[in-house]
Amino acid sequence: MTDTPFLTELRDTALSVVLAVLPLTTLFLAFQLLFLRLPWREVSRVLTGTLVASAGLFLFLLGVSIGFLPFGWAIGAALGSLTGKWLLLPFGLVLGFVTTWGEPSVRILAHQVEEASTGSIRYRFVLYAVCVGVATAGGVGLLRIGYGIPLLWLLVPGYLLVLCIIWLSKESFVSIAIDAGGVATGPVANTFLLTLAFGVSSAMGDQQPLIHGLGLVSLIALAPILSVMVLGVLVRRKER
Amino acid sequence: MLSVLRVRLLEALTAVAPLVGVACVLQIVLVRAPAVIFLKFLAGSVLAVVGMLLLFTGIDLGILPMGRFIGAELPKKGSLLLIIAVAFALGLATTVAEPDVLVLARQVETISNGAINQRALTYLIAVGVGLFAALALLRVIWGVEMTYTLAVSYSVMVLLSFFSVDTVPLAYDAGSVTTGVLTASVLLALCRGLSSVLAERSALSDGFGLLGLASIGPIIVILILGLIW
Repeated sequence: MTDTPFLTELRDTALSVVLAVLPLTTLFLAFQLLFLRLPWREVSRVLTGTLVASAGLFLFLLGVSIGFLPFGWAIGAALGSLTGKWLLLPFGLVLGFVTTWGEPSVRILAHQVEEASTGSIRYRFVLYAVCVGVATAGGVGLLRIGYGIPLLWLLVPGYLLVLCIIWLSKESFVSIAIDAGGVATGPVANTFLLTLAFGVSSAMGDQQPLIHGLGLVSLIALAPILSVMVLGVLVRRKER
Repeated sequence: MLSVLRVRLLEALTAVAPLVGVACVLQIVLVRAPAVIFLKFLAGSVLAVVGMLLLFTGIDLGILPMGRFIGAELPKKGSLLLIIAVAFALGLATTVAEPDVLVLARQVETISNGAINQRALTYLIAVGVGLFAALALLRVIWGVEMTYTLAVSYSVMVLLSFFSVDTVPLAYDAGSVTTGVLTASVLLALCRGLSSVLAERSALSDGFGLLGLASIGPIIVILILGLIW
């Protein structure tokens, strides 16, 4: 993690936001000209909204990169030099939970689910399920770094478990579950938890901090899939 | 408008508060990082709250309706090719722009001492996302059940993992970094728009799942690549 000067940071963040918004906006304008032909007022409202979202994303990413990266590393380094390795489990649990709680895309998914289910699957329900999933991944993931367990040993059984649970889970939860895996690895997790993991493994004198740090992110993508599907199994049981 | 903003502000605050709280406790009890780093963290959190407030408002007003308009218009054209092309292009373009993907690709190039080219890896990941985004929309149109689609995709993925052990960490990471905040909301809205105009589609099991399937794409693509090498 090199310390980039503030101005480059500003420029890079702005550039990545523009690149992220551009394809959709272009496509929307093309559709508007060719097929949609919505009234101008509607179009300007949508475009204003997009502008506001871009500004928000810019500030958010900037805040995360200047604030969360160095401090995440400091926390990780402090955790890595603890004497009892088992302590990584509770710290991972707590940090995993609060990080996901602050992840914007998880909230967007939860809102969408509540809206699409016309309120029968509640917003809080999805949010808690994803947070509990990532908390588990955080705990297990940090332990894995502490004890040097190969990633394959966790990922393969994890996905095999998913393959079994999909047959038991309520079908609507299956789709939501795999989306939950996608949203859980948003900007907060990818910066805060990732650098935290780097910090832990380098404090332990690890030779390959990058590989061990990165593995944490793939566990974070897996765990919410499991937790939301388990929720689907419970809901299906209750309905019978 | 003001009351909407107040609700949004409250949501952004409650979202970030626990993380900041835990971080403060850790700073005092355990970490004791230099004051500059801690102050930067606090400043970053304030920026993140303001940013999230604008982001949530803007996504509701702009990004989600855009995705839904396009998704609802697509099937009306009756051209399967158009749907595939749009899904592929959107998946590809948003992934190439995703900052996390660039970070991963850059790091991989550094560790591998340039053996894995940054740009090539970025495009590989993007192609994987595009392919599976298209596949996910086809699934909704053809009415294939999510359970079966997922069972097949995951089985292929797990099976490949055994044959391509060395690329496993890279592949699974590539799958998880692809979906950032904007990609997530764009793809979510697109899929919901599409399923809303097709007859007899469930808003839940057909309206979601695009995002999750899209992140399997890069995993499979990179695992296959590891197999060939």
